[in-house]
Parts: sequence; C-alpha cells; structure tokens
Amino acid sequence: MHKRDGRQLTEWLAAKFASPTRSTRLTVVVGRWLGIAFTVCFLTGLFSHGLQNPPAWMVFPTRPVWIYQLSQGIHVTAGIASIPLLLAKLWSVYPELLSWPPIKSVAHGLERASIALFVGSSLLQVTTGLINTYKWYPWPFPFRETHYWLAWVIWGSLLLHIAIKLPAISAHWSRRTRGSALANPDATGTTDAAEVEVGTGGPGPGRWSRRALLTAVTAATGAVVVTTAGQSFAWLAPLNLFAPRRMGTGPQGVPVNRTAADANVADAAMSPAWALLVSSGSVDRSFTLEQLKAMPQYSHELPIACVEGWSQLATWRGVRVRDLLATVGASPESDLRVTSLEPEGAYRIMSMPAEYARDDQTLVALELNGRVLDLDHGYPARIIAPGRPGVLQTKWLQSVEVL
Amino acid sequence: MSERKSRRTIRLGLGAAGLAILGYGLAGLPSQLGPAQLLGLVTWMAVAILLHDGVLVPLSTAAGFGLTRAGSKLQPASAAVLRGALLTGALVTLLALLLLKAQSVARKSTVLESDYATNLAWFWAVLAVVAVVAVVLLERRGRRGRSRRPR
Repeated sequence: MHKRDGRQLTEWLAAKFASPTRSTRLTVVVGRWLGIAFTVCFLTGLFSHGLQNPPAWMVFPTRPVWIYQLSQGIHVTAGIASIPLLLAKLWSVYPELLSWPPIKSVAHGLERASIALFVGSSLLQVTTGLINTYKWYPWPFPFRETHYWLAWVIWGSLLLHIAIKLPAISAHWSRRTRGSALANPDATGTTDAAEVEVGTGGPGPGRWSRRALLTAVTAATGAVVVTTAGQSFAWLAPLNLFAPRRMGTGPQGVPVNRTAADANVADAAMSPAWALLVSSGSVDRSFTLEQLKAMPQYSHELPIACVEGWSQLATWRGVRVRDLLATVGASPESDLRVTSLEPEGAYRIMSMPAEYARDDQTLVALELNGRVLDLDHGYPARIIAPGRPGVLQTKWLQSVEVL
Repeated sequence: MSERKSRRTIRLGLGAAGLAILGYGLAGLPSQLGPAQLLGLVTWMAVAILLHDGVLVPLSTAAGFGLTRAGSKLQPASAAVLRGALLTGALVTLLALLLLKAQSVARKSTVLESDYATNLAWFWAVLAVVAVVAVVLLERRGRRGRSRRPR
C-alpha cells in the first residue's frame, strides 16, 4: 500500500517536473564540460596544494614567473564556471531523483549513495570555494583541509560515475552515435524528435530546444566568468563587476590580504632598531635597513598571486636572496626558513626550497612600484619570489635561516 | 566480442580507480577534521542537497511553467532568448547576492570593495536591452517570414 502511494507520488511529481528538453544527450554534453571543469580544478588545486604543503618529490617551477598566477587564476575561474554547469547537469537528471522504488537492489542502493555523495560534495565544494574567495567563512569546518579532501572525493566519484554510466555516455557521445540518432523514448520525453523540429517551429509552443538550452547555459557560464575573471586576468579587468578583488586597488596599487593591523605587527616593523637576521650554521649577520639599501639592488616585475585567485603584477626592488646567503658563506642551493615579525599566524614561518633561494628574481624587497614598501605590504622588508602563492611571500621579515 | 571485453576492462579499471581515489579522500577527512567538524560538514552537505533539490529546482521549474505560457505567443527563437536572458540574469543575481551578504560581514580592507548592487543593476539593464532588442528583431523577422509564406 505504502509502496503504491510512493510510486503514485513520485510519478505525479515526475510528471510535474517533466520537460521535453531533458535527454541523455543533453546530460552527456553538459556532463562533458563539467567533467573538464572539475578536472582542471582538481589538477590546478593539487598544484597549489603541493606548493604549500610539498610532498618530498614536489617540483617547484619558477618559470614562467606567472605560472602560479595562471594556474590559480584558472583554478578559481574554472570553479566559478562549474557552478552553472553543475546546476544544468543536475537539472538534466532531476527526474532520476524521483525514480521508484528508491532502492531496487544493494548495487542500486550503493550507486544512489555514491551519487548523493558526489552531488552533495560537488555543491558544497563550488559554493564554499566561491564564498572563501570573499574571505567569509560561515561554516563549522576548516576550509582548506575540507576543500582538499573533498576534491579527492569528488574526482574519484567522477571517475566512478563515468565508469557506471559509460554505456549511456558512449551511446550519446556525438549526435551521430546510435543512441542519439534514434528517438529516445523515456520518462522524460524525446528531445531528439524535438530537435528535428527546430527548423519548422521548435519543440512545442513556448518551450526551448536542447540547442537553445545549451546556448543559454554557455551564455550564463560566459557571463559569470567574464564578470569575475578580471581579478585574475588583466585583459578582463574592465568587465570585473562581481569579483571580490579589483586590480590596482590597495596601497601602492596592490591589494592586501593581511594588513599590519591584522597581523599586529606595526610596532615591531616601524622600530628604528629593526634589523634582518641572516644565519647559516654558526654564522650570524644582522642587516639594518641602511645596510640592505647599500647592497646591490635588483628590480623585477613579478606578480603577487593569491590562493583566492586574484593577482597583481608589480615592480619590486631590493636585495637578491642569493646575495644575502653569500654574506654568511651559504650556497645559493640552500633550503631556507624565513620568519616574519608577526607574533602569530599560520604563515609566520615559511619554508623556502632551494629552487626559489637560488633564483635571480627572488628578492628581499624594500620597494614596491618605485616607492618604499607600504607598512601593509611588509615594510621594512618582505620576500617576493617567482611562481609562489601569496601567503608564502612573507611580509615584515625578521630572519632568514639556512637549514 | 573483444571490443566488449576491452570496454568492460576500461569500465572496471575506471571504477576501481575512482573508488580508490574517493576512498582516499574520505579517509583523509577525519585525519584533519574533528568529530564536530565532520558532523558540520555532513550537515552542510545534506542542506546543500535539500536546498538544491527541494528549493532551487522547484523554483526554476515554476519559472519555467510561466515562461512556457508567456513564450507560447512568441517565436521559438525569441522565446529561447527570453529564457536564456532570465537564466543568465538569475545566475548572476545569485552570485551578486552572495557577494552582498559577504560584504555585510566582511572586515578586510581591499576585498569586496565594489558597489555590487549598482553593478548588478547595470548588468540587468544591459541584459534587458540586449534581450529586448533581440526579441523585437526576431519577432519582426518571424512575422515577415510568416506573411511571406502563410501557413
């Protein structure tokens, strides 16, 4: 009795939600784009994570100098693009949710459970990922760790999902393949017949065809990308309506994530007694700001690129880290520990692999865009290295130690 | 036959790799999240599914009913333009509402600096102009086409 009621209810609901625009072919087309977007996010995300929590085998590319700016800009942009794609993909299979009985067998139950996990983690991942770039954390779990592990869950679920659905995917891969060329009668109606009608009057009065829906999803995806990606890509900056960051804002035309006030560092940084400690083994040397300024100065155009996707190209001027290492007799091929004046903070101590230490463009910067570093940019001295996440470009330097 | 066999191997391989990667992620979560945080995560996930399946899709379906009725008096192409414009506008609005909410609780100096409400108004204005112009042109062309070849 209950069973029949359930079936009647879901069938009634399915009829209410039915749309002739839905089809397996639509799902395959949108799913392909979403699968690509998720994979791009996964790979660029792993790269970013590897730079920050390096495994022993991690490689640290320093050229092109904008490699992290590009990879993280792509990560955030592909994540934003996947929001409309995910919504369209889920809409295209919505009637599956109402299938009855809800669980036909153990295997079917497991498949539905895996889909629930896939859908739930995907929705959560794209939403929290977006909101994280707003520096707003309303959830009761740590963002970075959760984002990282959910990425594995989602990408694994994606592979599993492709494996399970492979027959349907290959049958509808192209318009000419068998499944798509034949009319496709199922509970959701036939769009392939509808599409044939497009030229002669469309899929029914007031409805739209699969092509029209796909065009609209593309337009919507394009709109969210074009109005947000200006925080990562300079040529899109004029269209930046809805990104949390704007290029060229902040002191000296460069945005700030963590101000001197946030870091509680102003007194120590402004102290006339400030000196940079450089040490290697038993050799210690202290450099006052005047002494640093007296050393050979180098100027480089390097982007500062944040994990949140925004980036900004700027001109940095200061002392090469390798020159500082030479003053204490250390090889430029040294791993370093760099410490900030900040009394506390997750990034107070930063490890710098030798790939950056030896690089000609890795500086202890004293100037930004032609003027003395602003306090919020790390006065009196900060690190700037090519191709690293912004959180590792340590500000308000206290010491550089050879490990 | 051998093609079927190799396809089966691919499916099994993909599925096994997927399960292993998924399992790695699931096993990793409790290594860095405490019980209360895990519970919070599962709750947020469930709420995300409920909001999507129980609110967002029904709302967009209801909007679709209205559009089917309104669009039935239009040319198919201009009805599609209308739907596409509303879909795009709705999505961008969702994004902007999140931004405005975040702005109301934000504390950082150089984040969330734009006037997103004004930007949203501009976006809708441009979208409306583009959509209306496209609908008018398509309707005019459709009517001319119909009068030339009466059905």
